[in-house]
Amino acid sequence: MSTTKRILPKGIAEADFDAALNQFRETIGSESVLTESEQLAPYTKIMMAGDASDYIPSAALLPNDAEQVQELVRICNEYKVPIWTISTGKNLGYGSAAPGETGQVILDLHRMNRILSVDPEVCTALIEPGVTYQQLYDYIQEKGYKLWLDPPAPSAIAGPVGNTLDRGVGYTPYGEHFMFQCGMEVVLANGEMIRTGMGGIENSSSWQVFKWGYGPYIDGLFTQSNYGVVTKMGLWLMPEPPAYRPFLIQYQDPEDIAEIVDVLRPLRISQIIPNAVVIVHTLWDAGTHVVRKHYYDGKESIPREAIERIKQDEGIGEWNVYAALYGTPEQIEVNWNIVEQAFGASGKAKIMYGDEAEQRGGGFEYRSALMKGDMNLQEFGLYNWRGGGGSMWFAPVSQAKGSETKDQTELAQKILGKYGFDYVAEYIVGWRDMHHVIDLLYNREDPEETQRAHDCFAELIDEFAKRGYGLYRTNTEFMEQVAGTFGEPLRNVHTALKNALDPNGILSPGKSGIRQ
Amino acid sequence: MKLTRRALLKNSLLLGATAPLSIGSAFAANQANVSQQGQINLYGSNKSTTELGLGLRQLGLKPRYEGRLNPLALSALPSGTLAAGFTDESGIVLLTSLLAGRGRILALGRHESNQHHLLSHRGPIVEPTTIETGSWQASLGREYARLALASARDRHARHFLGTPTTTNVSELSFLVQL
Ligand SMILES: Cc1cc2nc3c(=O)[nH]c(=O)nc-3n(C[C@H](O)[C@H](O)[C@H](O)COP(=O)(O)OP(=O)(O)OC[C@H]3O[C@@H](n4cnc5c(N)ncnc54)[C@H](O)[C@@H]3O)c2cc1C
Repeated sequence: MSTTKRILPKGIAEADFDAALNQFRETIGSESVLTESEQLAPYTKIMMAGDASDYIPSAALLPNDAEQVQELVRICNEYKVPIWTISTGKNLGYGSAAPGETGQVILDLHRMNRILSVDPEVCTALIEPGVTYQQLYDYIQEKGYKLWLDPPAPSAIAGPVGNTLDRGVGYTPYGEHFMFQCGMEVVLANGEMIRTGMGGIENSSSWQVFKWGYGPYIDGLFTQSNYGVVTKMGLWLMPEPPAYRPFLIQYQDPEDIAEIVDVLRPLRISQIIPNAVVIVHTLWDAGTHVVRKHYYDGKESIPREAIERIKQDEGIGEWNVYAALYGTPEQIEVNWNIVEQAFGASGKAKIMYGDEAEQRGGGFEYRSALMKGDMNLQEFGLYNWRGGGGSMWFAPVSQAKGSETKDQTELAQKILGKYGFDYVAEYIVGWRDMHHVIDLLYNREDPEETQRAHDCFAELIDEFAKRGYGLYRTNTEFMEQVAGTFGEPLRNVHTALKNALDPNGILSPGKSGIRQ
Repeated sequence: MKLTRRALLKNSLLLGATAPLSIGSAFAANQANVSQQGQINLYGSNKSTTELGLGLRQLGLKPRYEGRLNPLALSALPSGTLAAGFTDESGIVLLTSLLAGRGRILALGRHESNQHHLLSHRGPIVEPTTIETGSWQASLGREYARLALASARDRHARHFLGTPTTTNVSELSFLVQL
């Protein structure tokens, strides 16, 4: 099979696209306008169960600064060329660095990677979109600041701007990233630039410390959306605590999930346990370093008997709670007693920290790194679990209540089982909510399995919605369907905003199901 | 291993009596395209990698064995560096995503039991996995060497039934340029 046909943005004549490309080259230089298939190939690698031919860009643009972004956006408006914005472009399992649809031009901001300021007193940073967590981490180490970051699991390679704009999460007490964002600079579809919050005041010293500014607060409009291109973002950094104790609690019975959540909730809401705790199922905890074939080679969901063998051999629980305490050593001792008492009450939990936890077979080492904001890529091991390169995060939200967790777990296992997939899942516990993150792993090389994964994901969305559960985020293949589950009135507002802010519909058409 | 004339012809690899030499000089003449006169970094740590290296060498490339792939280390390499090798699923995910805006994917291969799936962004792929002498990995190395020099820039994908792979675990190969 060969693809030699030139890919053009939808509805754009070849001559117009060539003219736009010429203007792009004049603006940012030829070497920053990519059009060759082998250069664009990394922007076509998707892991979701969509047709690869639906996600091929017609070009990629790599500007160096916000002024160039403004100019590029103006050119796009003139020729009605649609662009798909990425920052560090590691949205793996949610669409990666590929465009939302074939023919869009990738606006890749990774070269805009200046760290504009880090203030060790008020613990804030102002950065450009291309800054990676690793880069910011190295900078902070170099300066000797006692500040922690909050990376998601792809840590080193991902970036705070892209992750926060997709409302991603990490694992320290600053785990809900959008909550810790403060101030943005945004290029609008007409090429104009705005600063949110206090940023509109010339020489304001409060841009990174006071979120709300004056009048309507609009930062949220630029997350999971296509209303602007964010070119700078402020974020809050966590002061390094004097002491830190990561710990592991294992439970062995599938039913225990309800107890775990009900015991955890008051500790989490009252900030005794302040971080974004994870409750990890066996198959995720093993999947980061164990290959499925070693335990089971069948096409259907891995059977209970094999799960029990994994638990036994690897020293992993059915549910593995990774959490941490932060503060002075005295505070940690006090809180540790509370945690031990609460989880010890039923006699089902095995509570561990230090060497004992490290010697268990799960992910204690890498989880401990993430819960203190260190870089670690161990979780990529999940791709070796089933093989074949297919992965989609199904991520419904629930209340932090045992009854809901039990309901969601059973429903997910039932639907995944029907389609022959494994329940590779964890719950990330927010303040009162939980992100139930399921990695639907499948073999993308097998068209039948890919179709099955597609159907399974679609059914998960619908069945969860019927029980009142919506997704916190999804991949580009399913954005339309997920938007539908949130109802027409909300979609109408999204569309009205789109029409007002981007009348030519050039910014990331289709993001979160939003179009003109 | 010496390649027979028939084997070369069958794989469209025969460019003249002194094929390796002429490829070597073509590399030298094409500095923009290929770094350091045919040098290529080779990643992986098993027999497949050794054989891939053999195939690359047979067509005049000079592989440098770098051990197991650490995709993060690639960003420190000079622009223009060629790299090939074998890795696992997570390595491929990291490698391909790290190349966005920083490099080129020339070819990717997925090799399992007796199936080989190759994707090239350097024009058509010739069937490299049914060679009569030598291993499929060496044959793949020769095909990758040819693609490294090819001037075509279009995408081709092909499925081959070929020599069974040595393990029943899938092996993933890559040819990229920074
Ligand atoms: C093994 C594994 C584990 C993972 N674990 C986590 C996890 O713990 N937490 C988590 O949140 N995610 C996780 N992910 C998903 C994903 O990899 C991360 O969320 C990652 O941070 C997103 O990529 P990025 O930071 O490079 O953002 P990008 O890919 O650059 O951006 C993400 C999206 O935000 C929008 N966007 C980006 N930049 C701009 C801009 N400047 N203006 C307007 N819109 C923009 C775009 O729609 C883009 O698609 C995981 C993925 C893998 C493979």
